[in-house]
Amino acid sequence: MSDTQWPRYEVFQQETPDRPHRHAGSVHAPDAEIALLNGRDVFVRRPECSSLWVAPASAIFGGTAEELAAGAPPTGDVSGETVEFLVFAKVDPRGTLTHVGQVQAASKRRAVEEAVHACGPQTPFVLWVVPAALVTRSEPGEAAPLFSPALDRPYRDQAFYHIQTALRRLRQESGG
Amino acid sequence: MTSDAERLAAFEARIAAGEKIEPGDWMPDEYRRQLIRMISQHAHSEVVGMLPEGGWITMAPSLRRKLVLLAKVQDEAGHGQYLYHAAETLGVSREEMLAALLAGKAKYSSIFNYPATSWADMGVIGWFVDGAAILNQTMLARCSYGPYARAMIRICAEESFHYKQGMEIVLTLCQGTPAQRTMVQDAVRRWWWPTLMMFGPHDAESPNTPTLVRWGIKTRTNDELRQEFVNQVVPDARTMGLSLPDPELRFDEVEGNWRFGEIDWDEFWRVVHGDGPCNRERLGARRAAHDDGLWVRQALEAYAARA
Repeated sequence: MSDTQWPRYEVFQQETPDRPHRHAGSVHAPDAEIALLNGRDVFVRRPECSSLWVAPASAIFGGTAEELAAGAPPTGDVSGETVEFLVFAKVDPRGTLTHVGQVQAASKRRAVEEAVHACGPQTPFVLWVVPAALVTRSEPGEAAPLFSPALDRPYRDQAFYHIQTALRRLRQESGG
Repeated sequence: MTSDAERLAAFEARIAAGEKIEPGDWMPDEYRRQLIRMISQHAHSEVVGMLPEGGWITMAPSLRRKLVLLAKVQDEAGHGQYLYHAAETLGVSREEMLAALLAGKAKYSSIFNYPATSWADMGVIGWFVDGAAILNQTMLARCSYGPYARAMIRICAEESFHYKQGMEIVLTLCQGTPAQRTMVQDAVRRWWWPTLMMFGPHDAESPNTPTLVRWGIKTRTNDELRQEFVNQVVPDARTMGLSLPDPELRFDEVEGNWRFGEIDWDEFWRVVHGDGPCNRERLGARRAAHDDGLWVRQALEAYAARA
């Protein structure tokens, strides 16, 4: 197993507490706990994160507007008890998948239908639903140890360097 | 039933309208193939790109320089991961891509097959190599494929730091002792031509370019980007009193461009085909890193499998 790839987790990042989680990318990990740590290492090297969520890619259902219109049923979808699904949508043609809310549904297909309905007349460019119970979230109490190390590293920010000022000074000195 | 011609027309209309193509959307096989080729090569370049600088972390001349270099190399590891993610959305697995890299079958930017032999190289790599990469990546941030464009937006923001920290090293050495000036001038001499090669073959020799431009994968050609790079670097080099190793370099008043001499394309192809100064060393270092990491992967698996 050590030389084959681990399951993929999609990572959602919240930059500040007042903004929604947005899709950042994916990581591979042997479990959700490590996925959260890998997500932190890959996506949070700079101080722009207050919370991370990870969800196994296999638990996500939905697709692009094109795929939703084609209406392929989700694989392994069984109706069960009604549960909560988180809904992510890309509504801007140049945007990113963003957490837009929750729906209650008894199957993945119903969750997508509910989510499309909740988005209003304009079907999003991309829509994902994921059972809330399968999303692993960074604990609010862990935010400081997880994300604050990035705060102490101002040299990672390009504004830390004053290159143009230095070049301008050199030009003046050389009379150019 | 929609025909492929109709699908292609709809696809091209979406790109013309500035929409992003997303994973799962219909796309021509050639679009998918070209993107997998470009994004995986780009990911490998970030991963191999850690090596020339990684060797200097323990030799950095101060704690500040060490922290900065460490942060830069760590960013490159992250950039490789963003890009493997983007390539994966096209149906290729990370495992396949990494296996191809370790087997020596995958291409990556030839610039990383040149050795970093002095501390001044840490400055000049930031100034030249990251400067060149930023021009290419700023273009790719407008690419028609959503996941690649979004990865590039993240990367561009971080690359500005890479460029500036390098430029700061160059500026410091230029204002230092005669030995430091000699060291930085030597680094400029060694890195100039390999950096110009980073933009790839001339447009006339670059058969993929028209298709890539039409589908909004690239929006500018290799020669356009190379010219912009030269125009950007020459004035800064002059300001710092550094000379570039090209006797044909001159300003063309009519075009408003710095004209430069011909690139040694024999050298370019030799390095691309595996016969550069460090090709074997880089691959060896990657394989050793993979093998040495085995115990970490095993430990994580044991932890995940705990009862």
